[in-house]
Amino acid sequence: MLDLARPGARLKTVLAVSSALALAVSGCAKSEDDDKGTASPQNSQAQQQVTATAAAGATCTLDKFGGKKFDPKSGVVGFSQSEKEANPFRIAETGSIKDEAKKTGVSGLRATNAQSQFGKQISDVQQLIAQGAQALVIAPLNSDGWQPVLAQAAAKKIPIITVDRKINATPCKDYLTFIGSDFVAQGRRAADQMAKALGGKGKVAILLGAAGNNVTTERTQGFKDEIKAKAPGIQVTFEQTGEFTREKGQSVTEQLVQSHPDIDAIYAENDEMALGAVTALKGAGKKPGEVKIVSVDGTHAAVQGIVDGWISAVIESNPRFGPLAFQTLTKFLNGEPIPEKVTISDREYDSSNAKQALDYAY
Amino acid sequence: MADVKAAPAAPARTGWDRSRALSWLQDYGVYASVALLLVFNAVFTPHYLEAGNFRTQLVQVAPIVIVSLGMALVIGTEGVDLSVGSVMSLSAAMLTLYLGYGLVPALLVALLGGAASGAVGGAMVAFLGVQPIVATLALLVGLRGLANVLVPQLKEFRDPGLLELGGGSVGGVPYVVLVAAAVTVAVGFAMRRTTFGRRLVAIGGNRRAGELSGLPVKRVLVLVYVVSGVLAALAGVLSTARIQAADPTSLGLLMELSAITAVVVGGTPLTGGRVRVAGTVMGALLMQLLTSTLTKHDLPSSWTQMVQAVIILGAVYAARQRVTR
Repeated sequence: MLDLARPGARLKTVLAVSSALALAVSGCAKSEDDDKGTASPQNSQAQQQVTATAAAGATCTLDKFGGKKFDPKSGVVGFSQSEKEANPFRIAETGSIKDEAKKTGVSGLRATNAQSQFGKQISDVQQLIAQGAQALVIAPLNSDGWQPVLAQAAAKKIPIITVDRKINATPCKDYLTFIGSDFVAQGRRAADQMAKALGGKGKVAILLGAAGNNVTTERTQGFKDEIKAKAPGIQVTFEQTGEFTREKGQSVTEQLVQSHPDIDAIYAENDEMALGAVTALKGAGKKPGEVKIVSVDGTHAAVQGIVDGWISAVIESNPRFGPLAFQTLTKFLNGEPIPEKVTISDREYDSSNAKQALDYAY
Repeated sequence: MADVKAAPAAPARTGWDRSRALSWLQDYGVYASVALLLVFNAVFTPHYLEAGNFRTQLVQVAPIVIVSLGMALVIGTEGVDLSVGSVMSLSAAMLTLYLGYGLVPALLVALLGGAASGAVGGAMVAFLGVQPIVATLALLVGLRGLANVLVPQLKEFRDPGLLELGGGSVGGVPYVVLVAAAVTVAVGFAMRRTTFGRRLVAIGGNRRAGELSGLPVKRVLVLVYVVSGVLAALAGVLSTARIQAADPTSLGLLMELSAITAVVVGGTPLTGGRVRVAGTVMGALLMQLLTSTLTKHDLPSSWTQMVQAVIILGAVYAARQRVTR
């Protein structure tokens, strides 16, 4: 019999129960897909299609930066990812960096993941520097708070390329350049697609992203400005945050269609919220296309939503930074001038290309 | 001999009696607030008095009601269960992982996961003497991590039974709402009519006295955390069914705070010894109606948070009066 009076025995019992729980959880799992063998879409042509659309701002060269030339193939390049690879964007982003490193023969790539903790990302990057990284690619969790790391990197003249989010610091001095999407342009293009879907007239609700996030602000601003300029017949009558999650997108849309049954369209600032909106519309008995949806991201599920008729258009936010990052680094090390911002090109999906583009969507 | 009457300690103040008013507020404030909000909406919110609207509100509040009832039991023992949100995410993960065996086995595994998590938390509290806030905080962190390892990204499912559970209804009442109603009735019955309920209240009121009078204090404590775990897992299953995908990364985030809010606003004191079942349901409903009112009137969500804070402070203030009386 268990002697639960002895503290040691109690602790052992609790530990035993805990580990039994952990084992039971993972032991004999069998999900719906296990029988079928999941075929994740492979995109072979994907990598070549990524190019910079615009190179803006002052330029930077190896001499100006004061760096030392090295061969990236034999050198050490560090990659610091901000969030765990739990959503399609982060999975595709990390995958793209690793694939491109392999493809271009960079064998010394060291990758870290900060698991959404900024403190961890700072120490990750410090670790990478300590491991002798000669160049860094960083997907920053925050834009601020990088000074201590930047000072360390600058002292060793390590060029830093930030991807998808910017760091608030001086390009060509604290870091080399930033590669990212133009979020305002994404908002404008979403507005153009919205105008097309509505024939230039109607009432639109916006599912905003998380508050206080520059992606939210810029996608909103681009959308509203473009609507005002190009489609004055469209009114934005409702805007609530869906916090970039599917569940919130669904809950807000359920409230929306109930109290504003005259709504004609929804602009969702990411695909997850758009997919939540689709579930809500189905639940409210709407038919595909009865309420138009335009969203931003370009995930596989959303592009499938276009094929199914629920979503009118999706503006891509391209996570495939690998090719551009390594091209930029190589050019820089060869002494070519590098602009302070490199804009990655984003695609657009609508009913005309969704089916063919399904394999490309991430 | 003349009747012995307790002499009035002080002549009762006529008219406005502050402490009595606050005590009334703690007991019935939540009902009054819900009624007020309903009246406001009936007048000022278009399309409010429609069956579809009430269905939406009840479907959205159902998982919160279920979690809050478990939380109310734990708080009744002078404890707290911070792990509920993570248990929801774990149950979502396990549900999809085992869906290959069919809906019923997957459901059982998900609920069992909740029971096991609750047993671990309860054992830490009852046998190791760990403070509830610490024991369940460890689970909050650990179980979310476990769920993320098991199902690293959002996963859609196709099981028709589960889709029906999330979106279907019988006689116009969604299954999700029926489940929440059944849980409410069951918890109400357990608290009023069973030894378990009476022991829970006794232990929550005075644990030492419970031990001295020979109550199985530790067993009751573990059972309370197990119930809370199972209910959280059930809420995780229903939420997953409703959004038609398992999303362990974001499902149930901050749910522990919503549940504590519902319990406190519903008039259950944090000092234990008392569980208000109907009040808890109304507390959850009040927060839901408040959020939806501000959403429907297109006010920013930061407003909702500020109004919620005022209501919580009001509830705590009313409760404080009763304790110090």
